[in-house]
Amino acid sequence: MTHVLLALAVLAFGATASGLTARIFGGGLWIGLTAAGIAGALCVIGGWDALGSTTTIRISAEWPLPLGFARLAVDGLSAWFLLVIGMVSIGASIYSWGYFRNAKTHGPVGAYAPLVCTMIAAMVLVVCAADVVVFLVGWELMSLSAFFLVGFHDEDTEARRGAWTYLIATHLGTALGVLPVFAAFVARTASTAMDGFTGAFGASEVTSCVVIFALGVVGFGTKAGFMPFHVWLPAAHPVAPSPVSALMSGVVIKMGIYGLLRLLSWLPDLPIGCAIGLMTVSLLTGVMGILYALGQQQIKRMLAYSSVENIGIIGLAISVALLGRSLQQPVLVAFGLGGALLHVLNHALFKGLLFLSAGAVLHDTGTGDMERLGGLARRTPVNALAFLIGSVAICALPPLNGFVSEFAIYTGILQGVVHLPSSYAAVFASCAAVLALIGGLALVVFSKTFSVVFLGAQRDRSVSVHTTPASMNAGMVFLALGCVAVASASGAMVPAVSAALTPFGAAASGQAKTFVESLGLVTRFLPPLGVLIVVAIGLLAFRRRMPLGGAVGGMGGTWGCGYALPATTMQYTGSSYAWKVIHSFRHVIRPKRKTPSIVGCFPSQDRLVTVMADMAQERIYKPVFTGLARMFERLWPLQHGRIQLYLIYIVATVLIVFLVEGWSAPFAAHKNDGATRSAGESQLRDVQVESVVTGGSSHD
Amino acid sequence: MTAVRAVLFVPEMLVVLALPPLLMSVIAKTKAWFGGRVGPPWLQPYFDLHKLIQKNAVYSKTTTWIFRAGPIISLAALLTAATLIPVLSNDSLLGFSGDIILLAYLLALGRMFTVLAAMDTGSSFEGMGASREVTFGAMSEPALFLAFVVMAVATKSLQLSEMIGPKLLPEWQIAGPAMILVVGALLVVLLTEACRVPVDDPATHLELTMIHEVMVLDHSGPEFAFITYGAALKFTLLGSILVHAAIPHPEGFNVLSPPLRVLELGGLAVLVGAIESAMARFRLNRVPMLIAGATVLSAIAVVLVLMRRTV
Repeated sequence: MTHVLLALAVLAFGATASGLTARIFGGGLWIGLTAAGIAGALCVIGGWDALGSTTTIRISAEWPLPLGFARLAVDGLSAWFLLVIGMVSIGASIYSWGYFRNAKTHGPVGAYAPLVCTMIAAMVLVVCAADVVVFLVGWELMSLSAFFLVGFHDEDTEARRGAWTYLIATHLGTALGVLPVFAAFVARTASTAMDGFTGAFGASEVTSCVVIFALGVVGFGTKAGFMPFHVWLPAAHPVAPSPVSALMSGVVIKMGIYGLLRLLSWLPDLPIGCAIGLMTVSLLTGVMGILYALGQQQIKRMLAYSSVENIGIIGLAISVALLGRSLQQPVLVAFGLGGALLHVLNHALFKGLLFLSAGAVLHDTGTGDMERLGGLARRTPVNALAFLIGSVAICALPPLNGFVSEFAIYTGILQGVVHLPSSYAAVFASCAAVLALIGGLALVVFSKTFSVVFLGAQRDRSVSVHTTPASMNAGMVFLALGCVAVASASGAMVPAVSAALTPFGAAASGQAKTFVESLGLVTRFLPPLGVLIVVAIGLLAFRRRMPLGGAVGGMGGTWGCGYALPATTMQYTGSSYAWKVIHSFRHVIRPKRKTPSIVGCFPSQDRLVTVMADMAQERIYKPVFTGLARMFERLWPLQHGRIQLYLIYIVATVLIVFLVEGWSAPFAAHKNDGATRSAGESQLRDVQVESVVTGGSSHD
Repeated sequence: MTAVRAVLFVPEMLVVLALPPLLMSVIAKTKAWFGGRVGPPWLQPYFDLHKLIQKNAVYSKTTTWIFRAGPIISLAALLTAATLIPVLSNDSLLGFSGDIILLAYLLALGRMFTVLAAMDTGSSFEGMGASREVTFGAMSEPALFLAFVVMAVATKSLQLSEMIGPKLLPEWQIAGPAMILVVGALLVVLLTEACRVPVDDPATHLELTMIHEVMVLDHSGPEFAFITYGAALKFTLLGSILVHAAIPHPEGFNVLSPPLRVLELGGLAVLVGAIESAMARFRLNRVPMLIAGATVLSAIAVVLVLMRRTV
């Protein structure tokens, strides 16, 4: 807890100091980024420490707001997410230095460091909040700072569009999902303290539980990016500065997963329909996400859709755990939740790495259009290695970390197939098949992206390549090492994950021991992985020891099958590479293709155009929002643009509020509520109350 | 596992590693017999490997270290897979509960690096082959996993050596139809993954029609030896999964069992050779249908074994 408070203080200092010095030297960038990096390290240390101990550390303090108390608590689940936040923050901070150093000091660069510090602090608040009000303050602060960061390049129409899409999506999710969920719990427990929420709704209140769960999936799922609430991801992630994309895809969307998990720890065992529902949504998210990713030409847009896919995998793991909880199978709960948490960490690491690497491509070449790139591996070898590590990890290929979490999820699913009654086993069998398909398609997507961008020869001669600054490389190397570390230390990860599952311990009807024992299976693959590495090194040595093995017989052109004049533009493009799969799934994703028609004896030059429009965007959001816009046009007469009239509106609103309050007094109950709360505060069952600190950082 | 068994793994692994080129030879001889020819000598694949290893390699100027690392990593993945798959006996060296997942992903690792090495050359032919390889690979994953599910349900185990071991013997007696469907699906997966007719034709010299061979056009010398050997090893390993599932041997160590397995693998090679001689390669857009058919076969088998379990 000390680490968390210290991290918040450092971030508050960083935000303030870099904001104040923004115009004086270097945009205050250095101060802000150092603060963010130190805070990240503090989060990692604090999170890892808290995972080692079993007690929940709480603090609470009065604050000048009329609602709630400044309650913070760090339990296993919070600690795990602190670890995730910290790792990506460190990588992104190191990277940002090189990314922005060359930028001019005027303009919004000065705003970058304060906003990033605020966003990280807000996320720390969200995962450590033990009070609804603190949570919502952090949640909103995170959304708003992310909004400004996404719209960082506000001279770009796309960036403004992405930022607005994000703001609207996240607030709709908060208003329609998150707030009602918290309102229900606050109304039931008559308190904003979260520690009373566990078991607030009994298992007998099926309808309430199901409604709350559904609202939670909508609210937190919008932040996480479940289909069909995912549309903001491909709009916002590509336009944000790359370190911001890494933070958003790595951790901000994970806050949605955190919210969902926290909600599940409060709810009792849910009906099986809930698990099946979440499973369906997750599988849909996974398959559609990866198919859309395949059709993208912009590298960061592809990564955004791939994040959608991975959220689908995490959701699948959570639904496996839910089903296990409903069926009293603690082993499934262990593998489901353990797999979900591991995948949260892993995805943060490798997707952060991939976004940073994609940002380096943009920085070096000035374009993110895959079809214009090629052959970057020879020009920017470190970046190529970083992207390769990220790709191997995200395809869940051994021996990197993606395999560890997918192994846990697969094991959970296959255990379900083997040990559950037939009808549930059939459900799990289809999950296994779909997850296998997702894995295969992920390999198509990432082999395509890596090879089109980094291998072969450059496709567009007009693209000039600069070198990557060392600090950007350092940021990527840090996250790449994280990927390797998680894979090689998966033995140490098991107790940590089990500690992170403590909030579910009681509800899961299983003991911590079951968790450790079940998850311990995850490390069984270490000997074969050792064999893999040893054999690879052995083959390399064998290759070197051949009579002529070390010598190169000669360097020539690529064999063009007899064609004498191959050109770089004749290489296979990403679109053609992906077309076979896209064509096979054309009924699902409906790509629009405009083929050139040959007219006359001497046809002129023509283009073949393939467009992958997002179905959710085209079929749901576009009609709905166009309709809404038409409706609101009728309110235009109210907008005169005269400030006097607007003042009258405000006065009228205030008067109406007073009148309502005078007649029916809907807020009267609230005052009593506040009185009981302050009375109850003196007898808080805190494990450890530390010195009273006002949450100053949250107000910056 | 007893100490004796641990020691016995050494000769067993040696035989397993020496066997793959011979099986390629069996296929070649079968095809030659169908064509009324004599065919190459039995040991020709070994001679080829020896020759390739002695040579030095020529590289394209377009390529990077990935081109050279590709064959090494692919072969390392397959050799690791060899420690998980029972070939001659009923158990594997490093098998554990859940090793089927590792196995599937090791195959994927090999595929990833073969494809990346192909794309590294910048050749459009190799790009074409790479695209086909990953597409058909992705499509055959569900078929493979559903086939595993069937055997996992039947034997209540997640370890490959138990799933296709003696426990499958009673299953053949009570759930024969499901097992036949699974074996059919596994055969299609084998033909897809090992790039044989009707999915791919390793014998043509027309680059446009091939998948695996076109991806390795630019490799030469020892790296090409690794690739050739890796392809044969992949056939042997996937073939032994098929053979073990189709003909489970009874429990316990039996002196006759390993030689019998070699003969069964030889029989499989003859079957594959016969298929290649009897039919032409499918048109490329028909191949997804074939793989989808295999997926459906395994799905029906899943339903069959699950329905039986409730009774």
